[in-house]
Amino acid sequence: MISRIFSGMHPELITPWCNASPAPDRCLLELVWADLEGEGEAYVYQQMGHRHSIFCILPPYVLRRIARTGTEEQRQAALETLAVDTTFRTLRAIRLAAPVATTTPAMAVPSAEVVSEEAKQLQRTIFSCQNRRRLPGDVVRSEGGPATGDPAVDEAYDGLGATYNFYWEVLRRNSIDDQGMPLNGHVHYGRRYNNAFWDGQRMVFGDGDGVLTNRFTISVDIMGHELTHAVTEKEAQLIYYAQSGALNESVSDVYGSLVKQYTRGKEAAEDADWLIGEGLFTEEVNGVALRSMKEPGTAFEGDEQPGHMRDYVNTMEDDGGVHINSGIPNKAFYLAASETGGYAGEKAGPIWYATLRDPRLKPNASFVQFARLTVVNAEILFPGGREERIVRNAWRQVGINV
Amino acid sequence: MRIRFETEGGIGDFPGSPARNKPTLIDTDDLPPREIEELDRLLMAAGFFDLPAVSEPPRGAADYFRYTISVTTPERSHIVTLTDPIEDPDVGALVDYLEEKSRE
Repeated sequence: MISRIFSGMHPELITPWCNASPAPDRCLLELVWADLEGEGEAYVYQQMGHRHSIFCILPPYVLRRIARTGTEEQRQAALETLAVDTTFRTLRAIRLAAPVATTTPAMAVPSAEVVSEEAKQLQRTIFSCQNRRRLPGDVVRSEGGPATGDPAVDEAYDGLGATYNFYWEVLRRNSIDDQGMPLNGHVHYGRRYNNAFWDGQRMVFGDGDGVLTNRFTISVDIMGHELTHAVTEKEAQLIYYAQSGALNESVSDVYGSLVKQYTRGKEAAEDADWLIGEGLFTEEVNGVALRSMKEPGTAFEGDEQPGHMRDYVNTMEDDGGVHINSGIPNKAFYLAASETGGYAGEKAGPIWYATLRDPRLKPNASFVQFARLTVVNAEILFPGGREERIVRNAWRQVGINV
Repeated sequence: MRIRFETEGGIGDFPGSPARNKPTLIDTDDLPPREIEELDRLLMAAGFFDLPAVSEPPRGAADYFRYTISVTTPERSHIVTLTDPIEDPDVGALVDYLEEKSRE
């Protein structure tokens, strides 16, 4: 049974990987390909019989070629390897960000990537829409510019920076597209505009109505939430409808929360409030935040978010309930983060990030499919079973069994 | 002329969200002449009856409001669904007017 595919310039390069595997005596290799269509000789082997192999990380273009032109078994193995490759790239980036992180032979994969401080590219521009529905508006603060004294402008500037710094330091991601994309925030949109949104290219914030809501830049997690929609679109393109849409929303709440906890000195999960949009409401509202990840349905009077699949809301409104049913995966993340302990950006955050970037995550993914991949990636990122059990148990507690 | 204006979506379902409001119903029989004139002007400027029935949000957009505007006259009727951001300033002005009416 084929488990993995290896590639190297010579068979001797394969041997160290076999020796590092749990059962080197069962590392049987069969040459399946000896040329890469004129791009140079390479020996491609398929490894037989392993269940937890060490992977030789191929250049993705090799794997993709095998995925396109190989036999069915080879294609499947290449796709699996691509998925793991993505996870390992994530892991390497995380390890580079935290050198004291645990390492085991399973993580000792070579890296051709060098992530340097020079690659960091934070480029912010804040625009004011002057309380009209026009975009982009007027530039009011550029990167490196001084505070303006306008709270919405300065909060947007700081929030974009905090979100960028979180993604860079914790996940080694260079802006929302991982290529240093400039970050633009547009404040004072519309008149008494009770919303903030991501329009596919930029963050847009209203001032609130001043009666029930304050300005939407008041909470850094809202900015992290909006920018994360761009990350999701870049990586997984989760369709903004029904369960895949609720996952899209949940991912934004997850990383919005992690940004907030990051700004609070990498707050431990057990100390965090897990509230989205705290401070948004005025005193006229009987509520504390837009949403609670810890206890969905308790953020404000009339909050209808479910925290378990038994309470899943089937609706045509809200794009099939994307802001409602996000409570279920939100709760699962909170449970996973709390149980793993410490700052959630150390374990649960990377597990969810690896899942978001996993090629097996489809744009129309269901809760179950997403959950399954978080369990898989938990074991890949943190071998040993503890994190895998915690993640599996977290999903079980919200009614999703994987 | 009867108009129905409804908002849904947004960053969440929360107190103060226009998405929580019931649809706004306007009957020009109940409006003063000056306001009827203003409403006619807004509809004309927006080219309402020629707007596409459905405008999809930009790719990757999220947390946007979706507005549904239905206008019925003795001669014709038309329903338009569109989302933020509204690029046409005249359409934006119409939505602004309807939003103000929904707050009354």
